[in-house]
Amino acid sequence: MKYQVTISNRDNTTYRVDNRRPLLDNLREQGVDLPYGCKYGGCITCAAKLTAGNVDQRRQVALNNRQINDGYVILCVARAKSDITLEVGVESHGSLFRNPFIDPLQPHELKADIATVKDI
Amino acid sequence: MSVCCGPGYSSPSEAIKAPSEKLLYTIAIYTGTGIQKPDYLATVDVDPSSATFSKVIHRLEMPGIGDELHHMGWNACSSCHDDSSMARKYLLLPGVRSNNIHIVDTATDPRAPRIHKVVKGSDIKAKTNLSGPHTVHCLGSEIIISMLGDAKGEAPGGYLNLNKDFEIMGRWENSMGNIKFGYDFWYQPRHNVMVSSEWAAPNTFMPGFDLEEVGHLKYGREIHFWDFEKKEPIETMYLGEDGLLPLEVKFHHNPDSTHGFCGAALSSNVIHWWKDETGKWQWEKIIDVANEPHPEWPIPVPGVMSAILVSMDDKYLYLNNWLHGDMRQYDISDPHKPVLTGQVWMGGLLGKAPEINGIKMAGGPQMFQLSLDGKRLYVTTSLFSTWDNQFYPEIRDQGGVMVMIDCDPENGGMKLNSDFIVDFGKEPNGPSRCHEARYPGGDCTSDIWL
Repeated sequence: MKYQVTISNRDNTTYRVDNRRPLLDNLREQGVDLPYGCKYGGCITCAAKLTAGNVDQRRQVALNNRQINDGYVILCVARAKSDITLEVGVESHGSLFRNPFIDPLQPHELKADIATVKDI
Repeated sequence: MSVCCGPGYSSPSEAIKAPSEKLLYTIAIYTGTGIQKPDYLATVDVDPSSATFSKVIHRLEMPGIGDELHHMGWNACSSCHDDSSMARKYLLLPGVRSNNIHIVDTATDPRAPRIHKVVKGSDIKAKTNLSGPHTVHCLGSEIIISMLGDAKGEAPGGYLNLNKDFEIMGRWENSMGNIKFGYDFWYQPRHNVMVSSEWAAPNTFMPGFDLEEVGHLKYGREIHFWDFEKKEPIETMYLGEDGLLPLEVKFHHNPDSTHGFCGAALSSNVIHWWKDETGKWQWEKIIDVANEPHPEWPIPVPGVMSAILVSMDDKYLYLNNWLHGDMRQYDISDPHKPVLTGQVWMGGLLGKAPEINGIKMAGGPQMFQLSLDGKRLYVTTSLFSTWDNQFYPEIRDQGGVMVMIDCDPENGGMKLNSDFIVDFGKEPNGPSRCHEARYPGGDCTSDIWL
């Protein structure tokens, strides 16, 4: 299945991507110059911000739940599940990095393997 | 006296007498900075009589982007001093994120090193199930690299063994025992001992630092003593709250000594270990850097002692406090009772030295390398791209800096050198960040004596 990716901070350029393959590979093959590091979902270097649509990023292990709630996706393992809009590169990293002492995480905001369920 | 023609020196005291370094290599990264260029090895001219003193005179780009070069190591050191078939010719540059290990020939043209070979990260994963390369040590013709994760980035990882031709021989260790994490290691062959320390799994530290993960035991607090010949851990020291994130470990250079030191980064303590008269390993905390108040922080700021270094004469221990912004020199003539003998402020969050030699600092003192004679300490400011981005986000635009501190090995004392500063904010491809440094003739963090 093919979906359309719109990159909002690159003049809204659009690309067709295959939903069976990671977005990073799909987009780099079409000439999009994107940062990356580990290529297995563990290092956060390729993080982008998803502002519309859905992705499957079950294989990522880099993001904590706050980063996921803020819309961050790990392009080296994420696959499109619909037409999507992304902000890419470090310009999209506004809330990705925070001083961990000044702005601590709540228990439900930790990474998935140690997060607690949020009390409602 | 040197008896042979292999690399390095016959003893630490011979190393101290070596000619002063004229060139220095430091890695510089673009990974995580927003600049789509490879990380590179910068050659810095450190010869005061040269017209290009204190300047980057060559840049060797890695073949691809996203490696995150970090620490380095030589293919051979003084442990091969008696082997005339070996030479200190190749510098190994692991990429923490890519898993690639770049073998750089620094001997053919020391001013302009060149790529000799790349050990591909995918091959290392396939053959050893390891990732996250960190510390490189050689012993004889063997090269051992601590790998902080398995192929999926989970702890504890293990040790990659390369032969002298940089072929993957497999895992070095026979067992990781109950070790939870890896990081740095150092060995003292005359005592058949290796000591290793703990950071965290690559999947934990690579994305950045979440303080809560320390409480969830995702970061280390133990150091491990190994039977070096059997290649297996035999004793663990639980350091607890005194030893949160025990990172760098250094033995005395004197190969007969059993004394060694570990800097616990988050606790900002120096741990000292030694073998007592009954043959039992002991440890104690000998330096405790107090947390400092900060107007914008809800809790006092820890020093974050990410590196330590022992001078070649084993008289001084140097440490950094990356968040506070100071470099310190301690006289460790009595390793049980260190005496603070020098301190220099550079950058940091406490605002003590926001500008150095006309350059506004981003970051704080981080990695450092001391000249063999103990007189010149080169200090850089970036820790790791993601952690920089959390604590010193302005480093993205300003880049890293290398400064030189003049040290007095006779009477103690440190003073910033006003003639030397390398501003990596002004690099041709944009602001980069420098980290570890090495000299062609060996340095205070590589050579081990048999």
